[in-house]
Amino acid sequence: MTALLRDNRRLVTILLYLVGLLVIVALFAPVIAAQRPARLVQSGITGLLVGGVYALIALGIVIINKASGVFNFAHGWMMLLGGFLFYSFFSVVQISPVATLALALLTVLMALTMIGWGRLRDARVLGAGALAAIVITMLMLVEIPLLRGIVGAVCGSVLIGLAAERFAIRPLIGQPLFAMVLMTLALSEVLHGIEQMIWGSVEIPLSLFAGIKDLGLPAPIRFEMFDSNVIVRTELLIAFALSLLAFVAFVAFFQFTSVGLAMRATAENQKLAQSVGLRVRVILGVAWAIAALLATVAGVLQGGATSLSLNMPLLALRAFPAVLLGGLESVPGALIGGLIIGLVQEYANLLFPGTQAGTELAPYLVLMVVLVIRPDGLFGQKRIERI
Amino acid sequence: MRKLALILLVLALGTLLALPVSAQESLPDWIEHTACDVDLTGETITIYHFGDISASYAFITQPLLAGIADAIEYFNARGGACGATLAQDNRDTGGDLTQTQAHYDYYSTLDPKPDLLVLYASPDAELLRDQVAEDEIPVMISAGSVEGLYGEDGQTPGWIYATNPLYVDQFGMFCRYIGANADQFPDPVIGYISWPGAFGEAAFTPEAIGYCAEQGVTVLETPEYFLPTATDITTNVQNLVDAGANILYTNTLASGPVAVARTLVDLGLEDDVRLAGVNWTLDTSVGLLSRTALGSDGLPAVNGIIGSMPFRWWTETDVPAIELITSIADEKEVAPQNRNIAYLLGWGTVDTYIELYAQTVNRVGSLDAVDGAAIQETLNGMVYSPMGLYTLDYKSGEIRDDTMNRLAMMMFANTDLSGVASSGDDAFKLPLPDGTEAYLPVIVPLTDFELTPDLRPGGMDVPGM
Amino acid sequence: MSANIRPSGVFDTAYAQDISINRTRFDKFLANGLFVLLLIVPLLTIEGPLAANILPQSWIGVLNRIAIFVIAVQGLNILTGYTGQISLGHAAFMAVGAYTGAVLARELGMTFWIALPIAALVTGVTGLIFGLPSLRVKGFYLAMATLAAQFIIPWLLRYPLEGLTGGSRPLSVPEPTLFGLSFAHENAMYYIIIPMSIFLSLAARNIVRTRVGRAFISVRDNDLAAELLGINVFSYKLQAFFLSALYAGVAGCLLAFESNSLSLDKFLLDRSIEMLAMLVIGGAGFPLGPLFGVAFVNLLTQNIIPSVIPTLKQVLPGFLPFINPINIDAALGPTLFGLALMFFLIIAPRGLAHRWEILKIAWKIRPYSH
Repeated sequence: MTALLRDNRRLVTILLYLVGLLVIVALFAPVIAAQRPARLVQSGITGLLVGGVYALIALGIVIINKASGVFNFAHGWMMLLGGFLFYSFFSVVQISPVATLALALLTVLMALTMIGWGRLRDARVLGAGALAAIVITMLMLVEIPLLRGIVGAVCGSVLIGLAAERFAIRPLIGQPLFAMVLMTLALSEVLHGIEQMIWGSVEIPLSLFAGIKDLGLPAPIRFEMFDSNVIVRTELLIAFALSLLAFVAFVAFFQFTSVGLAMRATAENQKLAQSVGLRVRVILGVAWAIAALLATVAGVLQGGATSLSLNMPLLALRAFPAVLLGGLESVPGALIGGLIIGLVQEYANLLFPGTQAGTELAPYLVLMVVLVIRPDGLFGQKRIERI
Repeated sequence: MRKLALILLVLALGTLLALPVSAQESLPDWIEHTACDVDLTGETITIYHFGDISASYAFITQPLLAGIADAIEYFNARGGACGATLAQDNRDTGGDLTQTQAHYDYYSTLDPKPDLLVLYASPDAELLRDQVAEDEIPVMISAGSVEGLYGEDGQTPGWIYATNPLYVDQFGMFCRYIGANADQFPDPVIGYISWPGAFGEAAFTPEAIGYCAEQGVTVLETPEYFLPTATDITTNVQNLVDAGANILYTNTLASGPVAVARTLVDLGLEDDVRLAGVNWTLDTSVGLLSRTALGSDGLPAVNGIIGSMPFRWWTETDVPAIELITSIADEKEVAPQNRNIAYLLGWGTVDTYIELYAQTVNRVGSLDAVDGAAIQETLNGMVYSPMGLYTLDYKSGEIRDDTMNRLAMMMFANTDLSGVASSGDDAFKLPLPDGTEAYLPVIVPLTDFELTPDLRPGGMDVPGM
Repeated sequence: MSANIRPSGVFDTAYAQDISINRTRFDKFLANGLFVLLLIVPLLTIEGPLAANILPQSWIGVLNRIAIFVIAVQGLNILTGYTGQISLGHAAFMAVGAYTGAVLARELGMTFWIALPIAALVTGVTGLIFGLPSLRVKGFYLAMATLAAQFIIPWLLRYPLEGLTGGSRPLSVPEPTLFGLSFAHENAMYYIIIPMSIFLSLAARNIVRTRVGRAFISVRDNDLAAELLGINVFSYKLQAFFLSALYAGVAGCLLAFESNSLSLDKFLLDRSIEMLAMLVIGGAGFPLGPLFGVAFVNLLTQNIIPSVIPTLKQVLPGFLPFINPINIDAALGPTLFGLALMFFLIIAPRGLAHRWEILKIAWKIRPYSH
C-alpha cells in the first residue's frame, strides 16, 4: 500500500486536491444554490473585470521580481503616480513648457546614463539625447490630450522606474532580502510625499472614459439573463481588454525580443549573464522602467474607473495574493492569479454579505492556503528550498 | 424653494468676482461678540490643532486649516479677541493614533497648558476622551461618534464638545422624516452601505435600528461594507437591493456616496432606490467627484441624495456670514473643492474662540487666570451661533453634540441659476481647468432646524427606554 | 562583538565573570546608575508626588511609549534580527495581546497582573499558528504569510469577535491596580512599563546567548548548514515566532492598559512597517538595536520633522513652483521619513547600534586608533 502511494505521488496529490475542492464546493453548495442564477453570473462578470486590474498590478510586480528578485511594495504608489502624471498631461490645458522640457531632459539623461555617467562624454550620444528630449517635449505639448497624456505618463513613469532602480535598489545589491523589502517600503513613503506635495489630498476624477457615450457605446452594457438584468461596466470592460493587450505584448516581448531574452537570462543567473556580455545594469533598469509603465497603465485605468485618490495604493496590497497564487515569476500566472482573486473576492461578497469577507479576508486566506499547499504558486518555478 | 431665487454661484470663480472686502478695521454689525471688560492687547491666543492632514481625511482637514488661517487674518485685522492676537499651531498625525497620542502629550504638557484644543476625527476623540478629562482640557471637534463624546455607556459627557450632531442621531432623524412622509417613501426599507471602520459603521447601532422600526422604517439586519479603493461595488449594492432595500443609507464621504450612486445608475435602479447619508454626503467634494459619474438624466449620479445639513451652506447667501466668507474665499482664490463645510467650520471655530475668551476673561478677570475648567464652564453655559453658521447650545453642560439638525437634498443648479436643473441639458455647467465641466450643487433644505432624536445607548428616544 | 575588547589588565578570573552581561565593575555601576536615574524621572515632573517642575511632564508619556515599542521591536529583533525571518504582521500580534488583555480584564474582571501573562501566551500561540507556513516556505514567502496575518487577525477581531472587542468601536480598558493602588496615571504606569521593558530587553539578550539563541543565528546565517549540523530548523523557527509574538503580546497589552482605550486603527500595516524600519535604523541583530531604533524614529517624527517643516515650507515653493504650499505640511512627513530610512539602508545598513559598537571600541582603545 505504501509503495503504491509512493509510486503514484503525483496522482495522489492531484486526487487529494480534487477531494479538497469537492469538499469546499459541497460546503458552499447550499449557499450557492440559494442564490439567484443572475446574481452568480453578475458576480462572475464583476469578479473577472476587477480581477483584470489585479492582474495588471500583479504583472508589474512579477516583472521586477523576474529580473531582479525584488518584490516591489512601492508598486501601488507608482500606480498612483502614473495616474496623476497622466491626469496632468491629459486634463490640464496649460502645462508649463519649462517643466515639460525638464521632465523630458531628466528622463533622457537617466536613460542614457544607465550604464554610467561616462556615456555623457560622447558628443554623439549627447546630441541624440538632446534631440530625443526635444521631440518628447514637442509631443507632450501637442493639442491632442490623449497623445499628450500617454507621452507624458510614459515619460514620467520611465523616469521614476529608472531613478528608483538607480538610487534606491542598485546601492543595495548584495544586501539581504530584508533590506530590499524595506527599501521598497521607504520608496513608497517618499513617493507618497511627492505625490501629495504636487497633487494634494483631494480626490481627482479622471474623465478618461467620458467619451464612451459619444462613441455610441452603451454604458453600461445591459443584457437579460434568467429574467433579470446583468450589467457589464463598459469602462471596466475596456480596461480589461487593455490589460489583456498588455499581457500579450509582454509575453511577446519576453519570448521574441533580444532584450526580453536577455532579461530572462539575467533573472536566471546575474553573474552568468554578465559573463556572457549581457549588460545587467541596463537590463535591471529596463525591467524597472517596464514595471513603472505597467503601474501607470493600471493606475490610469483604475483612476478612470473610479478616481485618483491617496487610497489607491492600498489596492496593490490585494494584488499580492494574486502574485503568489500565480507564482512569483510567472507572467501567465499573474493573469490567472489576478482573475482568481477577483472572482474569489466577489463571490465571497455575494455569499457572505455583511462580513467584509470578500475584500479583507478571502484574498489573504487564499494566500495562506497557497503558501501551505503549493508555495510556488500555480505556474511558478519549483525552486523553493523547503527547510 | 423660495431660497432658490437667491442661490448664487459658489463655484464660479470667474463669474463671481465679489467686491473686495472694504478696508475698514471694524467688524460688521451682525457679528456680535460679548464686549470685553479687559483689554488683551499684546497677548496671543493660540488655536492648537492636531489631526490627520496628510492621509485619508486630508481633503477635509486642509480646508479646515485654511479656513482657520483666513479667519484669523480677518479677525486679527479687526481687533482679534479683545485685542489679543489669534495664532495657529498645527501638527499632523497622518491618521495614526500613536502620533495622535504623541502630539497630545506634546500639547497637553505645554507651559502654560492649552485652555482648549481643536480636533477633527472621531478616533482621535475616542482615544483622548479620558485623558483630556484628566488634564481638564476642553476639546472642540467636528465628529459625531457616541463613544468619543459620551463614553461607552453613552451617558457620560466628557470634555469633548462637538459642532455637529451624532451620526446615529442623524440616521434616526432621517428615519423619522421618511416615516412621516410615507407618500414619498412607500414601504421604506433601508439598506446600510458604508466603509468599514469607526466612522463608516458609526450610525449602524441597535438603538438606531429600533428607533427606525418605531417610525415604520425597516432597516436590513445585514449591512454592507466596501473599501474606499473598491473598483466595483455592484455585488454589495445588489445584496441589499435583493434583500428588499429601496433606500440606501451611507456613512461615507467623498468618493463613497459617488460609488454607490454610480452603481445604482449602472444597475438601472436610480428611480427605484433612493440614496441618503450622513452630513458629509452633502459636501462639495461629493458633488464635484460625481461630475464624471452621470445619471441617465445627464445630471451627476448623486442628484437627489438626502443628508443632514446642520450648518448654513454656501448657497444660502442671505446669511451675511456666507456672503462675507464667499468674498474672502474669492479673494484668497480658494479652489472649488476646498469650499466645503470644513472651510466654513474653520471660520466658525475662530469666531467661537473669540467669544469664548471674551466671556471667560470677563468672568475670571485676566487671560492668565483662564484655564481649561474656566473655558469649559463658559462652553457649558453659552448659547451662541458662530457667525450665524450653526448654533452651539450644550444645555448647561448636559450634552456634548449639536442637537439642532435639518435634512436637505443635494441637487444641481439650472442654466440661469434660478432653480434646480431637471436634466443635464438645462444644468449650469462650469468648465474646469482639467477639461471637465463642474455642476453647481445646490442644497435644498427639506426640513427646518429641528431637534434630533437622542439615540445614544440609553438615550431618551431609544425604544423601550 | 566588542565585548572582548576591554582595558588592558582586566581579566576574567571565573566562569561567572566570563558570561556575565556587565563584564567590568564600571559597566555594572553605569548600568545600575542609569536604571536608578530612569526610576527617579517621574519624581521630578510636575505631576509627580513632589510636584517638582524640573523635568517636563511630556517626557513620561514619551518614555512610556518608547519603552513599550522597545519591547515590541525586541520581539521583532528575535525573529528578524537573529533568526532572519521577515515579519510584516507584528502589529497584528500586538493587537492580539492588547485585545486579549483588555477582554480578560473587562469580561472576566481579571487583574492586569494575571491578564498580562495570559495575553502574552495567547499571542505567542497565535504567532506559532502563523509561523506554520515556515514548515514549507522561507524568505520572502514567509513575509507574505505574516502579511496575511496582518489582514486576517484584524478581520477576526473586527467581525467574528465583535461581541467581545466592540469591532470598529473603541474599547475602554480598566486601569491596573495593585493592593488597592491605582496605576491610572502615566507616572504610575511608568513604574510598570520601564522595568518590564528593561527586564524583557535583558531577557532577549540572554536568550540569544543560549543554545536556542545560537540556533536562531545559525538558521539566519545558513539554514542548510544548520540543518546539516543537526539543528531542527523548523522547530527553532517556530520557537522564534512564538517568542517574537510573546513580546508583541506583552507590548500590546501594556499599550492597551497605558492609554485605557483600544482601537484597531492602532495596529494596521503601517505600524508593522514602522517597527521594521525602527529595527533596521537601530540595527537588526544587536541587543541595543531596538532601543536606538525606537528612540531615533520617535525623535525623527516628533522633533526633527516638525522643526524643519516651517523652514522648508518657506523655501520649497520658491524652488519648485508646481508645489502647492498648502500640501507641504502634510507631504513632508512621509517624504522625510522615507528618505531617512533610505539613508540608513544605503549608508548604514547595520544601523545605529553598529555605529555605537564602533564608537565604544574607539573609546576603549583610545588613544590608539587600531
